[in-house]
Amino acid sequence: MKQRIRAFGLLHCFSVSLYYGAVRYPLLIATWLISDLLLFVGAFALAYFVRVGWILSSDYSLTEHVIAAAIAAPVFLSSLLTTRTFALTRNQAGIRNGVYIAYACLLGTAAFALAYYFMHRDLFSRLLLIEGFLLACLAIWMWHQGFGQLSRLVLRRNPPVFRALIVGVTRESHRLIETLKRRHSPIVPVAVLDARGTSETSIEGVPVKGRLNKLEDVITQEGITHLIQCADIEQSLNLLSTCRNHGITYLLLPSVLGMVERDERIETLEGQPVTMVNPRERSWMWFFR
Amino acid sequence: MKAFILAGGFATRLWPLTERRAKPLLPLAGRPLLSHLVERIPREIPVTISTNAVFEAGFQQWKEFGGFTADIMIEDTRHDDRKLGALGAVARWLQTKKIDDDLLLLAGDNYCGFSFADFLATYKEDALLAAYDVGDRELAKHFGTVILEPQTTKVIAFEEKPAAPKTSFVSTGCSVLPKRVLPILIEFAQKRPDNIGGIFEELLRRGERVEAFRFTEPWFDIGSFHSYLEATRKVVGNGQILGHGTNIQNTECTGSVVAGTNCSIKDSVFQDVVLFDNCIVEDCHLRDCVVDSGCRLNGVDLDGQMLRQHTVLNTKH
Repeated sequence: MKQRIRAFGLLHCFSVSLYYGAVRYPLLIATWLISDLLLFVGAFALAYFVRVGWILSSDYSLTEHVIAAAIAAPVFLSSLLTTRTFALTRNQAGIRNGVYIAYACLLGTAAFALAYYFMHRDLFSRLLLIEGFLLACLAIWMWHQGFGQLSRLVLRRNPPVFRALIVGVTRESHRLIETLKRRHSPIVPVAVLDARGTSETSIEGVPVKGRLNKLEDVITQEGITHLIQCADIEQSLNLLSTCRNHGITYLLLPSVLGMVERDERIETLEGQPVTMVNPRERSWMWFFR
Repeated sequence: MKAFILAGGFATRLWPLTERRAKPLLPLAGRPLLSHLVERIPREIPVTISTNAVFEAGFQQWKEFGGFTADIMIEDTRHDDRKLGALGAVARWLQTKKIDDDLLLLAGDNYCGFSFADFLATYKEDALLAAYDVGDRELAKHFGTVILEPQTTKVIAFEEKPAAPKTSFVSTGCSVLPKRVLPILIEFAQKRPDNIGGIFEELLRRGERVEAFRFTEPWFDIGSFHSYLEATRKVVGNGQILGHGTNIQNTECTGSVVAGTNCSIKDSVFQDVVLFDNCIVEDCHLRDCVVDSGCRLNGVDLDGQMLRQHTVLNTKH
């Protein structure tokens, strides 16, 4: 009986955590990582049949092929992790994401070739490598599109896992909220505050809760996980300090600093992070500036 | 006569300094602004301070540690959109306490450099307000302006925050209302509970005589970061005020530098800086800054900043 009660308690805790997002996000990420590993191996297994035919060849064992792919899969996944493809703010449909996936698949393919060579001092087919690479690229890229959408759906379910507080009622904040909503961003704006006060009661359906003196209340009541500063540069230090105290992620719109043309980048200058805006140049200069 | 100090505002423009303390409790030259005000009121006049539920504890603490005998009236509201309004608070107090006496009405966020004894000596049973020449009509737009009869102190017109001021004389947060006009105040407060300046317009409209006390001593309405720093500059001058237990080493100070109690300041450069209690500052260049209590700064340069309580900025991790 006691065991039953304990099991029920654990189940209840789990469902509550799932509801409030404490488990929802880690669970999604774990599923995503495992599915990527399986897909990579699966893509190479499919390449085997595409190359060998729909038989199990005695000259080139499927088991050995799959073992090599399984050894290479963590290399592929590690490479993909370093590109921050799984980051919350990453748009899976972007070209950059596609390039990162191709890069990781390329490294995974190289690892597969090396693994197979180390195990058997031989390689069955060079074309198989190309097919494996292409199939992995395609499968992973498509899966990321689908899973990206699915995870957004899951993360946005009420109550959303990532709840953003917008600071500043400006046209930029209007645009930001509209974009986050339109693209079903996993970061859901739930409240707006403004340093000077505003007559607006809501922006795109997100309630304006008042001035910054309500900051602590709003953070606590709404369970804020992200604070996006869209105005009031003079309060940056204080907002940052609040975020640090509450373990909240702080984001700053470049427009607050006057960068309104969407041409800014975060770079490093001798190891120190800097925000950079370059003069307009030819596109190929992007590689060198 | 009874004194009533309005301290019920939430002071959102001075966030984050007023996040946990009311504006009248902000330190000015090392002492709460309210202390400067209350100490000027003649001892025989009983003082009531009106505040809201959020800041109640702060006022009780101020009263206890400062040894003041003022009565604290708590407005039962925790949000600025639900407060009674300044005039509404006065009216409620008049009604609940059945006040039938002349009223010295003061704004808790004002610093008045003149003597209240001089001010009260000019009171002759007519409404009296303290008027200050801000010297600039543009600046006067932010206040209630007072138009005086030429060569006299009689107020002939009062305009609350006019778009085109006709004078640079403004009403400060210090006035006396004779007991005969208090029913007018209660009636007016029902219509305009937040319009404290409007009561003078109303009195003039009803044919009541309003007099002005003109003064030239410093006066500040502390409503913003800049006015707070400006008041500090004027009151402190070029000098330092260091609280008990504050230790300052190898630090260059120019302008007005004020530090609260138990601060530690080392190897820094300060120009017009106010540190509240328990701050630790090392190797910092601060100019025009107000640093709330418990902040720890190391190796940072800041200009024109108000720092929230317990902010930690350290470039030397």
